[in-house]
Amino acid sequence: MAISRRKFLGWLTATGLSSAFGKTAHAGTTKHFEGHPDSLGVLYDNTKCIGCRTCEAACNRVNDLPPPDRPFDDLSVLDKKRRTDAKKYMIINKYDHIRNPKGPLHARIGCNHCLEPACASSCFVRAYTKTKEGAVTYDSSVCVGCRYCMIACPFNIPTFEYDSAFTPRIRKCTMCYDTRLVKGELPGCVEECPTESFTFGRREDLFKIAHERIRRYPRRYLDHIYGENEMGGTSWLYLSGVAFKKIGMREDLGVTPAPALTASALASVPMVVGTWPLLLMGIYAVSKRKEKIATEEKEQALADTIAQAKAEADLKISEAWQKAEKEKEKAVETAVRKALEEAAETENEESS
Amino acid sequence: MFVILLICAMGALGIEALSDLSDRTKSDLARADGITIDALAVFGDLERPPVVFLHDLHTNALEEKSKDCMTCHLSENGRLSTRFKRLKDAGKQEVMDIYHANCIECHTEISAAKEKSGPVVCGECHRKKPTILSSRVPMGFDKSLHYRHSRALKKQCERCHHEYDQKSKKLFYAKYKEGTCRYCHKKESEDLISERRISMRLASHLSCIGCHRKTMAENMFAGPISCSGCHDLEQQQEIEKIDPVPRMRMKQPDFVLIKAGGKESSGARMNRVPFSHKSHEGYSDTCRGCHHKDLKSCLDCHTLSGSKEGNNVKLLQAMHELDSERSCLGCHEIKQRQERCVGCHGFISNRRKQGEPYCMKCHMAPTQERTGVLTQTGERELARMVPEIWWAIFGARQVADIPKKVVIKKLVDRYEPVEFPHRKVFRALEKKIDGDKLAAYFHLEEGTLCQGCHHHTPAAKKPPRCGFCHGKPFDEKDLFQPGLKGAYHRQCIGCHDKMGIEKPVSVDCTGCHAEKKQ
Amino acid sequence: MSQEATTANRSFITPFNIIASIIVLIGLFLTVRRFSGGLGAVTNLSDNNAWGIWIGFDLLTGVALAAGGYVTAAAVYIFGMKKYHSAVRPAVLTGFLGYALVVLALHYDVGRPWRLPYPFVVQQGTTSVLFEVAACVALYLTVLFLEFSPAALEWLGLKRARNLAVKFTLVLVVFGIILSTLHQSSLGALFLIAPSKLHPLWYSSFIPIYFFVSSIIAGLSMVIFESTLSYRFFSSKMDETHLKEKDDIALGFGKAAAYVIAGYIAIQIMGLGADNDWHLLGSLYGLWYLVELFGFFGVSCLLYAIGAREKNLKLIRWTAAWTVLGVIMNRFNVSLIAFNWQLPSSDRYFPSWMEIGISVFLVTLGLIAFRFIVTRMPILYEHPDYRDAHRAKGGS
Repeated sequence: MAISRRKFLGWLTATGLSSAFGKTAHAGTTKHFEGHPDSLGVLYDNTKCIGCRTCEAACNRVNDLPPPDRPFDDLSVLDKKRRTDAKKYMIINKYDHIRNPKGPLHARIGCNHCLEPACASSCFVRAYTKTKEGAVTYDSSVCVGCRYCMIACPFNIPTFEYDSAFTPRIRKCTMCYDTRLVKGELPGCVEECPTESFTFGRREDLFKIAHERIRRYPRRYLDHIYGENEMGGTSWLYLSGVAFKKIGMREDLGVTPAPALTASALASVPMVVGTWPLLLMGIYAVSKRKEKIATEEKEQALADTIAQAKAEADLKISEAWQKAEKEKEKAVETAVRKALEEAAETENEESS
Repeated sequence: MFVILLICAMGALGIEALSDLSDRTKSDLARADGITIDALAVFGDLERPPVVFLHDLHTNALEEKSKDCMTCHLSENGRLSTRFKRLKDAGKQEVMDIYHANCIECHTEISAAKEKSGPVVCGECHRKKPTILSSRVPMGFDKSLHYRHSRALKKQCERCHHEYDQKSKKLFYAKYKEGTCRYCHKKESEDLISERRISMRLASHLSCIGCHRKTMAENMFAGPISCSGCHDLEQQQEIEKIDPVPRMRMKQPDFVLIKAGGKESSGARMNRVPFSHKSHEGYSDTCRGCHHKDLKSCLDCHTLSGSKEGNNVKLLQAMHELDSERSCLGCHEIKQRQERCVGCHGFISNRRKQGEPYCMKCHMAPTQERTGVLTQTGERELARMVPEIWWAIFGARQVADIPKKVVIKKLVDRYEPVEFPHRKVFRALEKKIDGDKLAAYFHLEEGTLCQGCHHHTPAAKKPPRCGFCHGKPFDEKDLFQPGLKGAYHRQCIGCHDKMGIEKPVSVDCTGCHAEKKQ
Repeated sequence: MSQEATTANRSFITPFNIIASIIVLIGLFLTVRRFSGGLGAVTNLSDNNAWGIWIGFDLLTGVALAAGGYVTAAAVYIFGMKKYHSAVRPAVLTGFLGYALVVLALHYDVGRPWRLPYPFVVQQGTTSVLFEVAACVALYLTVLFLEFSPAALEWLGLKRARNLAVKFTLVLVVFGIILSTLHQSSLGALFLIAPSKLHPLWYSSFIPIYFFVSSIIAGLSMVIFESTLSYRFFSSKMDETHLKEKDDIALGFGKAAAYVIAGYIAIQIMGLGADNDWHLLGSLYGLWYLVELFGFFGVSCLLYAIGAREKNLKLIRWTAAWTVLGVIMNRFNVSLIAFNWQLPSSDRYFPSWMEIGISVFLVTLGLIAFRFIVTRMPILYEHPDYRDAHRAKGGS
């Protein structure tokens, strides 16, 4: 098949580019992780929460966290909206005047133990593990402290010990995995909450419970279980009496799990590694060939010029030779003639 | 260096953080007389935003100049048209011109006389973002007002109540069939084939204000004719209320037997329900609460198997639907949402299937099979008698033997046991149902009041303890039951919160149990 | 304080040296503070803003601006444009120093810098874009070091080693281009995982391509910019070839940049269309985006084109500076300004003077190193012993 070099390179480039910069890596896959079977979760129902902060105190105690600035029974702390930090794995925020007529509503902020966690996907030393129990745990023995997980987490949960010079760690809720779950015990907050605002159990069962609550009391709940699909699904689920964005929980995160967002970029790496050498060597070969051809043409041109000059010179010389020959002949002839004429004259003079 | 500039830009843009324009209320600019003029909407999409017109502002201003409604409203057949300076919407350009010419001309005149006037520039009337908040509250015509009107007009019901004859295309008065205006006049004007039913809004303004104006012209006391007179909350609350309102005489029955009607009457399986129509008249502010379509008996449309007139709502649903405002049970459910009932009743879902033990509380009159066919009078007598017999037999309330104090020590850990003042709480609940006939009737039996806390168990003198059902939380075999600690706190704190009980404070643990000294 | 300046001994007291010394001293002080007190003692980073200017400027911008190395090497060795040959060594040096400083800055930013080898030797987090960035940057630094080594070896007089090093040039160049493509685009891909935090005008599934193309633009412009500065300060070190070729380099690279920027603007607009973000252009951030895209990149494209056509070197050189600013602005926007745009202004990040101090310190170190190397090693001139080696060279 006759194909021009240019065309070949063009196809190569097109293949490389199109495969390297494809939009999604989901084309052709139907993979959708719905959690390890029988994995556990927690359902937080803010219509039951009374904002007593017992859960925060329990979390602090179970995880050996440093004592807080203000004691846990100081409820005026709830007057300001807080976020998790290196000393608080989980906090409760209070929202007044958003549900008429009775009382404030609360929101729990802490790690949601996503089914496909962004932190685990983004960690370049695999410091995070999504355990089969459902908890997302963190291993500080390999963490380099790059804080990419803090960038990646859509809920802004991981916190960093900025004040530690030599052993800064990421701190976040672990669902009390090492201290409680592996021993078959309940997480601290779940166990301590007086009104059982946290319901613990298999994630599938939590959906049944949540749906049944909504069915029984449609006026009490918003008909949405937060965490069912958000960011591909989380192990910590939420029921609320009002719209979630009114209690500081983002509703615009979408349902795509975080790893799927970078999957196509990562998938293009082997494509680039495979096609770039071909592309570059191809261009190199072409440019080398062009150079060679250019050099050859130059030499050819030079040779032609020389040959032509030589030919002209030869011609001139042969012409000159011929001319010289002719002149010599002529001269010889003339001389001969002259000699003959002189001889004749002398003969004539002698005979008279 | 540029880099520093860039860093400053970060600061600036951060500070510039997208300003939040929501949640700005201007309560000082709330008025009840705002009318949105979008008269051109019938001709297609509006080119400019509709105009918010303050009616009372204009009527007050005109009154100061001794000008009345005729300044802007034309009269037709002795009635004022609610339209502005026209009787009909002729065409887009005409209507627009009427508004522009008249409004702007008047405003110009007044401002020429160096007085405070209205806008003359397009954008000042056609505002994109309205600057006036509406504080208009809907006006209702409750029994008290109706009685006052009926008394003032000396019971000439025909002054307001009419029906429409399709054939002669005329309004006429039908005695003893006077229903609420809303049976025909709905939210929007309808053009049902040749009926031309105007909206309730138009009907009420034409009728009420028209009559009030006429009455005022005759120098008699009349109701309001200004917007805020009816639609301003404060002024509404100043309207005189008659209490109690004497019973309306519409030939309605005192007692009624609720049964399947007509052809189906012999097929009914349940006991019939005696119903005191007389008492129930007092529980609702308007007949429309139950007679939602017209004043006929429920049974005329809602048959046992459902019919087209009844929108295929069967008799069962019509009477028992828990989530409705007009079914029997639905109304009772709503009554249970009062603060003094809701502590217990708030926990009971109205999506439940009402249990069979309660059927007999209403279905107490024997079936037609047993009594034979009765006349209407006979049925009404039966309806009157059966409850009286029932009360005579079961009416005395048994006093339960309530323990004075219950010590809850099952879960003692960080706190001392709870010394629960059981009898005190029970007495308090008893007081709350005092005087309420509905509550008293359903809580007559011993143990029914206990079922607020001792739930999911039959009414008994000594109901089971909480710990006999509630144990460890998160039991896979019983997903929907909280553990004992959760049960206690949800029940107690939940009840207190719902009933607005301030002491003990729910977030103060020591309010109920003292801390254990370590 | 010697006032005697002999031809052999220039005085140490120059304005640059004084300022540089002060900066270095402050930098060392801040370094001690950073490593004894932790990140919190020196930065304004918080739990909401985990990455500051050490990532936004030192890492992202540094890597983008050091792209001249692979771009020039590609132009000369792959595309065979021999007339830019004298630009290779300066570009490679800029690249090498740039990446070295990036890695040095990384040691400041990361919580436990001694664990930086962990992703390679202890546990590999291969699902992470950052893993790929780290691997590629580490390898590329090595590549640059090897590409730079002939100059150093020539200076040290190690002929055999130098000749050996030179043999690998083509392989290193190809490897370098592959690695550069990967990590330049992956630095953009880092932000793919946070669509809820990056303003939609900057967030796109095409961020990797945008970063890659803008790195080419940055590389081309930096070569012009750096050559301008080198001529201003080190012209005495430049040999005939350099002086002869530098104008051609500026013209050629300027013309190339015009084309690439035009392409970049086109794909940015196509990205806007793909995400249907037109309505966002009417906001404040939209205005800022337009300033970046048209005010910097657009204007640069136009001025490069004009400069190339009219052979106006001065215009091209100023445009190069403008373009570099545009690329810096883009990296800042993606990592700091349009990032966390939804947080209230009280939660937004602004660097502390100490963070800025360290960044300035690192850049100064780079300048000092650059000056040291350029004044001693055959970067701007050819070593007399190897004068004709380049002519015969050109790869196997």
